[in-house]
Amino acid sequence: MSLVIADVTKRFRDVKAVDQLSFTVREGALFGFLGPNGAGKTTTMRVILGIIKSDEGTVTWKGKDFGRWGTGFYGYLPEERGLYPKMRVAEHLEFLGRIHGLDKQKARRETSRWLERFELGDLGSKRVEELSKGNQQKVQVIGTMLHDPELIILDEPFSGLDPVNSALLKDVLLEAHDRGKTVIFSSHRMDQVEEICQDIALINRGRLLLYGNLKQIKKSMGRQILRLSLEGNTDFWARIPGLHLLQERADYLEFRLDEGVDANRVLAEAMEAGQVIRFELVEPSLDQIFVEKVGEGA
Amino acid sequence: MIPVLVKREFTTRVKGTAYILTTVVGVLVFIGLSFLPPIMERLSSSIAPKHIELVVLDQGIESSHLPFLLQLSQEREDLTIRDASGLDERAAYAMVLDENLSGLLLIDGPLCTLVTPDSKNVVLNEEIENVVNQAATLWRATQLGLTQDEMQSLFHAVDFRIREVAPEQEDGREVDQVAQTQAMVLAYFLLFMIYMALILYGNMVASGVAEEKSSRIMEVMVSTVKPVELMFGKIIGVGALGLMQFFIWISTGLVMTFLGRTSFLGGLLGVAEPLRAVPLGGILWFGLYFLLGYFFYASIFAAAGALVSRVEEVSQVVSLLMMFIMVGFFGAYFSFLNPNSSFAVTTSLIPFTAPMVMFARIMLADPPLVQVAASVVIMLLAIAVGTWLSSKIYRIGILLYGKRPSLGQVARFLKG
Repeated sequence: MSLVIADVTKRFRDVKAVDQLSFTVREGALFGFLGPNGAGKTTTMRVILGIIKSDEGTVTWKGKDFGRWGTGFYGYLPEERGLYPKMRVAEHLEFLGRIHGLDKQKARRETSRWLERFELGDLGSKRVEELSKGNQQKVQVIGTMLHDPELIILDEPFSGLDPVNSALLKDVLLEAHDRGKTVIFSSHRMDQVEEICQDIALINRGRLLLYGNLKQIKKSMGRQILRLSLEGNTDFWARIPGLHLLQERADYLEFRLDEGVDANRVLAEAMEAGQVIRFELVEPSLDQIFVEKVGEGA
Repeated sequence: MIPVLVKREFTTRVKGTAYILTTVVGVLVFIGLSFLPPIMERLSSSIAPKHIELVVLDQGIESSHLPFLLQLSQEREDLTIRDASGLDERAAYAMVLDENLSGLLLIDGPLCTLVTPDSKNVVLNEEIENVVNQAATLWRATQLGLTQDEMQSLFHAVDFRIREVAPEQEDGREVDQVAQTQAMVLAYFLLFMIYMALILYGNMVASGVAEEKSSRIMEVMVSTVKPVELMFGKIIGVGALGLMQFFIWISTGLVMTFLGRTSFLGGLLGVAEPLRAVPLGGILWFGLYFLLGYFFYASIFAAAGALVSRVEEVSQVVSLLMMFIMVGFFGAYFSFLNPNSSFAVTTSLIPFTAPMVMFARIMLADPPLVQVAASVVIMLLAIAVGTWLSSKIYRIGILLYGKRPSLGQVARFLKG
């Protein structure tokens, strides 16, 4: 029982914005949807929600065509933020609640509860246009969650939020996850995805590059990242084939090891070259996986 | 879902400055209209010359208008003629200036020249020309040797009446020409209201859609409600605003009429005759054709609004639609002259012009019931087809940003 995207293709003229894309989001998952700019994330989300029609493929939720469930079960935060600028904040949220199927009393109650939760309690009677960009975004996030949907789809929810509000949003998403909601969000902030998502899909040029459980993905990539710090001749590594310098930091050097390179041999060479202070094999970060995978495809 | 959308559209706009302002201005116009007849009267009397006082210098040898001018001045209280024979032109004109008279009239045979300190007073000039012509006519009649009676019978106007007889009727009814003029003024007034309303509310719908696009609320909305619902929510909401405005305005008119008829204000107001004669049927036809026209045009306006990214661009795309409405208005205006001409009949059956032309025809002439029914049916069909096509354009247009799609692309939206 889950959200299944099967063989979805969407063309704009000759360009395939989404190309034979298939993946599944488990019910109750916190799912990260990744990809560089222009990869087709927003188009995919719009196809899922039926805002635009795909040329091929199907989207189902709990085994039934997505469009046949009505609209009340999901909440969507588009990348392009927008609210009616002249409406008052509380009025606007009640309106959004109503069109998602809440009755008047419930919409009002939930509005004030969520305004409190997002620390906007005293702004309810202000016009939307009087709010700061960040606060407008918070209002829109509330509009997405107000009707307590089973499925929450957020396009770049963290962009434009300061660290305090980012943390607040992260808490809210984790809270929803704890209550069994399915949350999908796209982001280019890999650290945030790494922090809260169990499952991810990475796409580029409309195609799926990576998909699955984040831990397993990392494991499958192997412990191929080496962090090394030593006092002495740091040029020794150039002699070892299959060792690539990723970044040179003040505190350590970071390398990627090709498959088949013996880490012990690298350590031996390093000890010969000087005093080893740090020698650590780590999993690649999502950031590195992202850069590597997207780079491969290019 | 639509009621929630309609309610939002209505409540946010009804509190808006623009709406309140137009409503108040409209009310003031309606109140002003009630005062119009006395104002017009006062105005025309202030423009018209109260008293004409002419100094006449007749230099003619064979003809003399002077005696007849003097005769006229005896018959008319507002005319004084002073004979300046013997004076020269300069002295005669000095008299005009000194005593602030209307002017100096130089007569030299068939040539009459008015010497005046104020040649811009067209009304006065015309009146003096009339007087001179009358005197000339009298002179010629005397030359011909006509008696007073003969002259009167020569200039007597016939009693001209109009009787309208339908083919199947034995004898027709006599047409009250005053009533017909009143009906025409009223019809013209209501026609103008339909015209204004279609443009005003059509634009409101188009810019409303463009506003939703430019504020980027559109994507949230279409992820939740169907685009067609969104479109109808807006159209019905704005339409309800329009109806409420009309209701307020027409009520104002009726209240003023009532006041004019009953209370002591009556004498003061002298309520406009055409308003006094407003037939209830006329108002109902007005409501019907306003709604038919509005629903037909509003969906097209909505589609037009969906094609632009910013409110500022709206006027560019709606200009074509405005032309259609204007054609309808002028079509109706011309059918005023002949409500049963083939031009009027044809345009009263074309959806773009029907709401205005057929309404005008109903108000002025009794068009055959078949034609009225046909125009209503055609309008309903046109509304169905129009909203169907518009919703297709709307659905795709609302998510398009940047360059405005070409006509060819729009045609492709319709196929998709």
